[in-house]
Amino acid sequence: MSLADQHSLRHGHDDGAVHAHVSSVGFYIAVFIGLLFLTGVTVGQSYVDLGKANILLVILIATLKASLVVTFFMHLKWDNRFNALIFVSTIFFIGVFFVYTMNDTETRGEFDADQNVRIWQKTGMPAPGGMQKPEPAAKSSASAMPQH
Amino acid sequence: MSTQVATPGGVESPAGHDSDHGHHGPAWLAHHFDTPSQQFDAAKLGMWAFLAQELLFFSGLFVAYGVYRSWYPEMFRAASHQLNKEMGAINTVVLLFSSLTIALAVRYAQVGNKKATGRMILTTIACACAFLVIKFFEYKHKFEGGLLPGRFFHPHAEHLVHGAPALPDNTGSFFGIYFMMTGVHGIHVVVGIGVLVWIWLRNARGEFSKEFFTPVDIVALYWHLVDLVWIYLFPLLYLI
Repeated sequence: MSLADQHSLRHGHDDGAVHAHVSSVGFYIAVFIGLLFLTGVTVGQSYVDLGKANILLVILIATLKASLVVTFFMHLKWDNRFNALIFVSTIFFIGVFFVYTMNDTETRGEFDADQNVRIWQKTGMPAPGGMQKPEPAAKSSASAMPQH
Repeated sequence: MSTQVATPGGVESPAGHDSDHGHHGPAWLAHHFDTPSQQFDAAKLGMWAFLAQELLFFSGLFVAYGVYRSWYPEMFRAASHQLNKEMGAINTVVLLFSSLTIALAVRYAQVGNKKATGRMILTTIACACAFLVIKFFEYKHKFEGGLLPGRFFHPHAEHLVHGAPALPDNTGSFFGIYFMMTGVHGIHVVVGIGVLVWIWLRNARGEFSKEFFTPVDIVALYWHLVDLVWIYLFPLLYLI
């Protein structure tokens, strides 16, 4: 049995030729109009002050647009599932990168020049991190940290 | 193992339809692949692995953006007012349209329409050039205004947007991030023009067919990634 025969046995219908999904021109234009619409929405939101919701909305809309591009323009919908897995795991690891980094940079506390210590603004307690040599008073609380 | 299939005078060619050309398969089928679909899948897999790497290295810039924006939200808001929303929006539409035309180029290549494929690739190249021209004028304005990265930041009041919030001293870090993100993206656009021209020439030489359009597909994937990155850059930089 040749390798090609084994190949077609595994896949049933496979004749070795490329069978790509062909979408209609109208379909691609419809996706493009969707992208234009979402661009309009994202420009529109910039004129409305929603506080913290603005940045969330911006990322949501951009992700919707990116999904349209990836799913239809980049053919992931009809592609080998493994390629979709590569893409999704990439997004996952970008998320890990973000969460771990910001978990550090968002919890360093503010430097209090009067006391020469870093403190968490919310609680006023000494915060870990920074290059400042801790004062004796801060040292005791810093050495207590690992026991938590 | 694959040499077993290609034995001279042996079994029929795996692709079936190319038996007229002898037993070595079509010219575009590399000898280390058994079938066209295997070659196509391998090319796509390789490209997606490359795109994953592209996204991961861009993510470094996005994380830098996230950290600095969350540290200095007011500075980001003030600096963002110096960017030209209209030009950014026009460039977004230009890139989205180019994404449509390159998707259509692949679609026409899939059905073996060489002429339409060529036209669509040319349109995409034109859009890429238009994007760079608009970007050039944006950069020019930033240079004139002294809106430059880090220690090169020295704003000239007469070139700044009127009525915009005052720029804090550390605004140079916003423009550092702005120039790095749009600059690395811009380099991708330039590279994109290069590979699009290459694919246009190959198409004009008649190298592609219904059976073999992989290079068009692969270059299109790259071009869509350029669009994908801009989809995030535009609102994050211009629309704060």
